[in-house]
Amino acid sequence: FEPEIPTPPMITGQGDVDELFDVKNAYYIGSYQQCINEAQKVKPSSPEKEIERDMFLYRAYIAQRKYAVVLDDIKANSPPELQAVKMFAEYLSSESKRDVIVADLDKKMAKSVDAANTTFLLMAASIYHHEMNTDAALRALHQGESLECMAMTIQVLLSLDRVDLARKELKKMQEQDEDATLTQLATAWVNIAVGGEKLQDAYYIFQEMSDKYSSTLLLLNGQAACYMAQNKWEEAEGVLQEALDKDSSHPETLINLIVLTQHLGKAPEVTSRYLSQLKDAHRAHPFLKDYLAKENEFDRLAMQYAPTATA
Amino acid sequence: MLTKFETKSARVKGLSFHPKRPWVLASLHNGVIQLWDYRMCTLIDKFDEHDGPVRGIDFHKQQPLFVSGGDDYKIKVGLLTMKIVKIYNNENEWSALISYVSYFFLLCSVLTGHNHYVMCAQFHPSEDLVVSGSLDQTVRVWDISGLRKKNLSPGAVETEVRGISGVDLFGASDAVVKHVLEGHDRGVNWAAFHPTMPLIVSGADDRQVKIWRMNESKAWELDTCRGHYNNVSCAIFHPRQELILSNSEDKSIRVWDMSKRTGVQTFRRDHDRFWVLGAHPNLNLFAAGHDSGMIVFKLERERPAYAVHGNMLYYVKDRFLRQLDFNSSKDTAVMQLRSGSKFPVFSMSYNPAENAVLLCTRATNLENSTYDLYSIPKESDSQNPDAPEGKRSSGLTAVWVARNRFAVLDRMHSLLIKNLKNEIVKKVQVPSCEEIFYAGTGSLLLRDADGVTLFDVQQKRSLATVKISKVKYVVWSADTNLTNKYSNLKVFSAAIMICNRKLESLCNIHENIRVKSGAWDESGVFIYTTSNHIKYALTSGDHGIIRTLDLPIYVTRVRGNSVYCLDRECRPRVLTIDPTEYRFKLALVNRKYDEVLHMVRNAKLVGQSIIAYLQKKGYPEVALHFVKDEKTRFSLALECGNIEVALEAAKALDERSCWERLGEAALLQGHHQVVEMCYQRTKNFDKLTFLYLITGNLAKLRKMMKIAEIRKDMSGHYQAALYLGDVSERVRILKNCGQKSLAYLTAATHGLDEEAEALKETFDPEKETVPEVDPNAQLLQPPPPINPLDTNWPLLTVSKGFFEGAIAAKGKAGQMAADLDMDTSGGEGWGDDAELQLDEDGFVDAPEGLGEEGLGKEEGGGWDVEEDLDLPPELDVPVGAGGGTEDGFFVPPTKGTSPTQMWCNNSQLPVDHILAGSFETAMRLLHDQVGVVDFGPYKSLFMQTLSRGRTSYLGLPSLPCLRGHPQRNWKDCGAKQGLPAVGLRLSDLISRLQQCYQLTTAGRFEDAVERFRVILLSVPLLVVDNKQEIAEAQQLITICREYIVGLTMETERKKLPKDTLEQQKRLCEMAAYFTHCNLQPVHMVLVLRTALNLFFKLRNFKTAAGFARRLLELGPKPDVAQQTRKILAACEKNLTDAHQLNYDPHNPFDLCAASYVPLYRGRPVEKCPLSGACYCPPYKGQICRVTQATEIGKDVIGLRVSPLQFR
Repeated sequence: FEPEIPTPPMITGQGDVDELFDVKNAYYIGSYQQCINEAQKVKPSSPEKEIERDMFLYRAYIAQRKYAVVLDDIKANSPPELQAVKMFAEYLSSESKRDVIVADLDKKMAKSVDAANTTFLLMAASIYHHEMNTDAALRALHQGESLECMAMTIQVLLSLDRVDLARKELKKMQEQDEDATLTQLATAWVNIAVGGEKLQDAYYIFQEMSDKYSSTLLLLNGQAACYMAQNKWEEAEGVLQEALDKDSSHPETLINLIVLTQHLGKAPEVTSRYLSQLKDAHRAHPFLKDYLAKENEFDRLAMQYAPTATA
Repeated sequence: MLTKFETKSARVKGLSFHPKRPWVLASLHNGVIQLWDYRMCTLIDKFDEHDGPVRGIDFHKQQPLFVSGGDDYKIKVGLLTMKIVKIYNNENEWSALISYVSYFFLLCSVLTGHNHYVMCAQFHPSEDLVVSGSLDQTVRVWDISGLRKKNLSPGAVETEVRGISGVDLFGASDAVVKHVLEGHDRGVNWAAFHPTMPLIVSGADDRQVKIWRMNESKAWELDTCRGHYNNVSCAIFHPRQELILSNSEDKSIRVWDMSKRTGVQTFRRDHDRFWVLGAHPNLNLFAAGHDSGMIVFKLERERPAYAVHGNMLYYVKDRFLRQLDFNSSKDTAVMQLRSGSKFPVFSMSYNPAENAVLLCTRATNLENSTYDLYSIPKESDSQNPDAPEGKRSSGLTAVWVARNRFAVLDRMHSLLIKNLKNEIVKKVQVPSCEEIFYAGTGSLLLRDADGVTLFDVQQKRSLATVKISKVKYVVWSADTNLTNKYSNLKVFSAAIMICNRKLESLCNIHENIRVKSGAWDESGVFIYTTSNHIKYALTSGDHGIIRTLDLPIYVTRVRGNSVYCLDRECRPRVLTIDPTEYRFKLALVNRKYDEVLHMVRNAKLVGQSIIAYLQKKGYPEVALHFVKDEKTRFSLALECGNIEVALEAAKALDERSCWERLGEAALLQGHHQVVEMCYQRTKNFDKLTFLYLITGNLAKLRKMMKIAEIRKDMSGHYQAALYLGDVSERVRILKNCGQKSLAYLTAATHGLDEEAEALKETFDPEKETVPEVDPNAQLLQPPPPINPLDTNWPLLTVSKGFFEGAIAAKGKAGQMAADLDMDTSGGEGWGDDAELQLDEDGFVDAPEGLGEEGLGKEEGGGWDVEEDLDLPPELDVPVGAGGGTEDGFFVPPTKGTSPTQMWCNNSQLPVDHILAGSFETAMRLLHDQVGVVDFGPYKSLFMQTLSRGRTSYLGLPSLPCLRGHPQRNWKDCGAKQGLPAVGLRLSDLISRLQQCYQLTTAGRFEDAVERFRVILLSVPLLVVDNKQEIAEAQQLITICREYIVGLTMETERKKLPKDTLEQQKRLCEMAAYFTHCNLQPVHMVLVLRTALNLFFKLRNFKTAAGFARRLLELGPKPDVAQQTRKILAACEKNLTDAHQLNYDPHNPFDLCAASYVPLYRGRPVEKCPLSGACYCPPYKGQICRVTQATEIGKDVIGLRVSPLQFR
């Protein structure tokens, strides 16, 4: 007989503690495995919380590209929030089904949407953002009011180079909860886009988080982006090396290394090695799609020029 | 007041501090004198020599002596270690010891003039004056210079003054009243001089403290300090500050401001009246005697407020915040603090991100504590630093919790989070908390009565708790995995606890003395100081003393052998420590045995304590290497199962017990050879015999039988025979020892009939009966060994411990350091006779005639139009788009202007356009500027350049990443003026030349040409800042061109046939032209040698001689030079050319890069707009052979690599 270990008494004055804080936080800073671990550890106090927990759990699996887990686990009778997550997983898992899923989503969005199902909105916006349909993404997000909706709005706006609007949205976030992890992260994104003195602030946000929680690829690449924007190439090298040590085929790390090695004046071969790695592991990455498109564009444009005489 | 030490005893009437050691003497009302160590808090000694109260006590300033005087009219001199050494009974003898003391008791009895008891008398510290206070209500100042005159030559040292001997010492004329100070209404209890100023302080039964001033002629009352409500028993000046301390029978000590004459502080006791005060001559320490003991105290904390960040130490000294750079030792004042607090800064928290500090000041009444928030000025004049306006608020403690947030523990003990403007951002409900400490970003350590709690400020919840009472300081290690606190458990004892980030305790260390400070060194050892030691602590709990200290210091940082610290005067100091011991232990704990071994061999570590330590901690194999003593060595070796070493030691010791123990251990390991040796040494025949039996060693077993026989050991002999199965021997033994019947039976049973018969006959049939042979007897025969065991039992292969291996390998090292010779001779491309030494020099610059192309032509007009067309993003977005949320109908915003678009707008340098991804405009620019018409060779350059234009970072998970745009003018470009960070530097291109040179040297011409071309094509993609660099860029093009032309021609030449004379002539011509390419000397030597040889073979001696001379001018290697001189000599014998060639060395020419014919001056020539290579006119309009991208003879704007070229 083993006596049950009593849970330590809660210290008073913690009324507004979020029991899923660790789960969410780990997810947002890109510490997906930790998010999964925490999610499996935590004991939600209500069914709603349980759904929320699962939502983050499955999204963490998605972020790890373990789509099958999500597709198998979420059944037809699972709550609508999780169905939305499953839809996103389906979208990401197979390129061939994407058109069908998007068409289906369009239909759903055309009808009135349950705005309380923030997860659905987020997942819809994520799909649209992947589809480069920023209008639809923003429209979906506009219906939600959660911090994450705002953060995603900011990200979409930044991809549209609308720093001005992103700042407005950020202000709203800050009014809601300035110290929240998402607000902090969004502040960093906007700061990078604004540039100048704000870059250092952005750096500190990433650095502080990796200090406080753990340094993740997301945070390290954020730091590297800040350093590089400030032309601090040597400093960026250290950060990216750390990221590379964590995962040698992480696409964003490789992209940043492609940038960095050139700025550091390394031999061109070093750069092309990273590019080959990227091509090997992430054929479908937007960077490479861009890259290939640009190659074609180059070839097309080069045809317009020719010497006046040939030998 | 900070109480350092308290004693309990009878009433204390006299006190004296030792000037150097941490000792204080207290003389008691009951006649006892106590000598205390106030630092260790122990009573060192007790002197019970007086009858009745002892009122005067004093240390000798130099010698280990003290003097005391009591109401028994005796003065006694004590030796601090050997009790009282001498008792002086009369005045005559007092003179001998007069130098020891300030003897007021002595003086009291001789000063004539007072009308009542003299309560106190003191010498002036430097002048021949004495001050006395008496119950006659006066204070008198006495001139005792008569005393000096009497016996001393002028100029004698002050201390000697008092060493006079004389009978009528203190005669009436020796002490003359100089001033009589009247003003007290009741008897005066105490009077004292100021150490430096002509001031006197007195305390009296009228409850007043009076300050008096005097000059040569008179003395007068300055002021009175009122406040005590009972008799003032003692009053003294603070030795270093403008303060007066007094104590009284009203059970209080009061501190007065000397200039304002107002009370500053009051310290009360509940039940004890105060009687006496003493000040330490050098330190900020005081002692006060009361009814039931004494206290040693200081008025204020002496711990400097400091904070360390990276290589910088920030500390407060004299109202300045100072910054010390540990590396350069540069110590500067960075700002002046706002004045206004009478309390020193208690603690500091530094924020490196904002360069801001929080300075906490703690008041006597904790509730009045405040903190100041300052932002440190960026630049400051160290001599006269700025005094920036700080923000002051009340609060006990303030510490940073994030870049822009700090936490304040307010006087209600609740937690406030504030921003940089000192505004409250939020209030956090915390568990009961009396102090807060920094605990990494976003976290705090909260201290309550019996522990500390790690608290996440953002989540508002406790993460972990550890029980440790009264934590005073927290020191985080650099990787923040470990935290360390040293806490005061009781007032006079202390403890250190090392915890990890989760507040799991790793170890506890208890100290008897206060822990003062600490810091982590780079290897993770915690170095801390107590009042009198520097010590170390490993996270495993090991700790020890590194060195002793005279005075407390505050460690700020530890690096290697250096301990950086602040002393009590806030002076930065560096102390050197010997880290060997803790490094050794650390290496052991971390199993870094190579380090351990290195230390064992090189450091002076050997000692019993280390061996004992190693043995205790389970490292006997390490200890083995320290030990010289064979006995210890033996037992250590057994402990770690090292039979070889044990055997060695046992041989040296050769003791029976050793062999026995070794035998046992060896047997366990199946090491039977050693077992055998042990048994042999101990002459343990039985065991040895059995050992031979079980190992199947029959020969030795037989030998053992022989030995047993010789030793007349019947049973041993028999046993051995039994083991051997030697029946006849057994029969013989039995027969010999008279066991006839047994012998018979043995023989009969085993079928040795002959023997049996013989034995049977010996039986006396009358007396003896022949025993029956058991027909069912079974034979006892030992099984024969199948395979005798010669070797030891096989043991599992265990990798040898590091130490055994290392010791064994000793001496083998160093053989691997063979040098590899570099093969530096030229590759095949250079032909047989053109080998050379590789000796590259740098980029040799300054060929003349650079930069002919004109600058500053106005161009790019078409671009201006485009710039005009570009509208700011605010304009091209309808206002409703951004604010569309208000009316509920959402209008998605249009796309904004990306930084890359700005780049194109802001620059006309091709690379900026490529980085922006605008290939179309980039191509147009390259076409217009340098005449590129075939972009094939540029493709990889374009793609590579493009790929460094944008960084990427992740926003929300599973979404496409965000893109960053590094800009070269990021500091001041604002939103519109951005230009991309280029990422291609002139210096990098120049350094890439080296590689090309090496390939050239190695004869890999085609590879070299390819690389030279990439460099050449990269030049138009540079951005440089000044004219010098523009010139260098153009020069770089020239170098590349010269090499490309030369090397391509050489490659071409090698392909040509050389069968006919004409063909040979053409080869020679091309070799000659090659010598006119502008190459590095090292390459030119090779080129000239080739040309020289070819021309010599062609018998064109005259031209060959020319090449030879040019070659010699370059200063080739001696052997080459020698050979060249030989050829030159040969040529000079016949200075003619056998064949006419199209080569005139004296007529300057350019070389057509397509046809390789000389274009002598004045002939028409077409040039490549980028490389500047020359061509015969027919080639105009074709692709340049050098660049393979540009059009020969094209009319262009010219190379543009700097914004300067557009002004």
